[in-house]
Amino acid sequence: MPIHEKSLIRPENLRVQENLELEGVDVSGHWSTFIESRVVSDYNEAIEDEIAALPGGEYIHRCWQCGSCTNACTVNAIDAEFNPRHWIYLVRIGLESELLRDKEIIWQCVSCNKCTYACPRDVNPEGVMKSIAHWLELKGHTAKSPAAHFDEVFAGQVFATGKIEEGRIIRGFFARTGQALRQEWLMVMARRMVRHLPLRMMFVMALGSVLQPKTQGWGRARAAIGEHVAEQKAREHKALGIAGQERS
Amino acid sequence: MSKPVLVVGGGPAGLAAAHGLASIGQSVVLVEKEDRLGGAPILSGYAKLIPSGEWAKDAIGAMVARTAEHELIECRLTSQVDAFSGEAGQFQARLSDGATIDAGAAILATGFSHFDSLNKPEWGFGTYDDVVTTVQVEQMISSGSGVRCPSDGRKPERVAILLCVGSRDRQIGREWCSKVCCTVSANLAMEIREELLDCNVYIYYMDIRTYGLYEDLYYWKSQEEFRVKYIKARIAEVTSDGERLIVKGEDTLVKRPITIPFDMVVHAIGMDPNIDNMKLGAIFDVALESHGHIARGSAYSAPATTSRAGLFVAGAACGPETIDDSISQGQAAAMAALAVVKQNQRGAA
Repeated sequence: MPIHEKSLIRPENLRVQENLELEGVDVSGHWSTFIESRVVSDYNEAIEDEIAALPGGEYIHRCWQCGSCTNACTVNAIDAEFNPRHWIYLVRIGLESELLRDKEIIWQCVSCNKCTYACPRDVNPEGVMKSIAHWLELKGHTAKSPAAHFDEVFAGQVFATGKIEEGRIIRGFFARTGQALRQEWLMVMARRMVRHLPLRMMFVMALGSVLQPKTQGWGRARAAIGEHVAEQKAREHKALGIAGQERS
Repeated sequence: MSKPVLVVGGGPAGLAAAHGLASIGQSVVLVEKEDRLGGAPILSGYAKLIPSGEWAKDAIGAMVARTAEHELIECRLTSQVDAFSGEAGQFQARLSDGATIDAGAAILATGFSHFDSLNKPEWGFGTYDDVVTTVQVEQMISSGSGVRCPSDGRKPERVAILLCVGSRDRQIGREWCSKVCCTVSANLAMEIREELLDCNVYIYYMDIRTYGLYEDLYYWKSQEEFRVKYIKARIAEVTSDGERLIVKGEDTLVKRPITIPFDMVVHAIGMDPNIDNMKLGAIFDVALESHGHIARGSAYSAPATTSRAGLFVAGAACGPETIDDSISQGQAAAMAALAVVKQNQRGAA
């Protein structure tokens, strides 16, 4: 059957067979285009609880779909496909396949928190976006986002030393995300720093980069943080029903 | 000795009117067609009432007890008014038990009828055992038997509550909002979740009308504390795959058709005009409004009045009404009726 309304149908739902015969009838080619059913046939009731178990997602069940978050959203203003209200709904009702269609957009939240201030029910949509992105990662639906890599390098260094050393963070982040260290903008920045920064600051930075100083007596704090992070991860993995170590 | 006030109907409005009058020394004849007082909350076995959370049998039961034992109130059960004549100050009512009552004024507290879900056959009531009404769920809770699938007694794991069954539906001539069902459904959803921790409850709605203080106390609470899920969809039909019920409709927020399996489907049935209203209208020679409820005489200056002087109305007889507001209206009607009785007493003296 010819389909004149193809624009209304999701491209991935259109099926054309090169050679297919059904009960003696040839149904090959364009004139026999099939459409996959759009019908939602079940709810995945675990998703909402899983999102609520991740940091930021705790208040997702408060949402009543007013759209204040999407209206306030910085990213939505430049990409109409970015719709926090919609994703919150999909999670709440458990429409997993719909949610996964948008897995490459959800993590693009810039955490401006305009939605947080707009939300009349204190859902904390920004936190929910974070937890959905985290959920997608933990479930293996998406690779870690660049922001997640940066967070891990940054936090890893703080946990290890109690200090932040910018050069190492940049190097670690670039290594994790497969970026070359010699980048034009970075070279320009380095040259300007050499030219304009006070000598003493340059010296401290260089020393830090080489010696990798630690905060004095950091050992106990590091142990406590390590324990807390491990507990948190174990709790998240349990809530999501996934075993073992986090993927890296 | 003044003539008594005739109160027709022993539900919340009638009980409030009768007790209000008796408590200031006015005699009352209370006529109730059923064999006991209490009206819908008692006769239909409601569970916990909104907004106090008291059990119907305690809250309304107490109103029944104080009415039944009051010396100025004569309760005539299993009895109806067959004929009603006269005018304000001197009405005569002939009852079905043969008695004739002289009354100074009369109050219609004749209530409503629950919508009969058989009138919406596409939603499966009467076809599938596990399609029930909010009233039946109230009874499951109030009887202590718990919420169970009628077909085999199992605990449901997924329940759908369909709002606006018999309300806001031009197809079946019921254009009104029944006003209480959203709040009642939110409350029942919380009761179900409280009893059955593993049971998910979905409410299919067109609008949520938990008006006034019910907003956060019921709607928000059901979402925030009990994780009840609300889906904006008017269900097209309820069928079965032989094992579970299948609910079909469109999830309007994602613009996709849904066919979701459920263990139990609950119709949030609306409030119809009392099925006897045509008869009551004729017997009492009182006007009905366009939906078939008893028409109010005035919205503001003369509350509780009808088209007939000396005849008053209270509660769900004039439209969908909550229990607590019906009780307030019963008191208002009592005040209005008392004024008529006193006026005619002075006139006679």
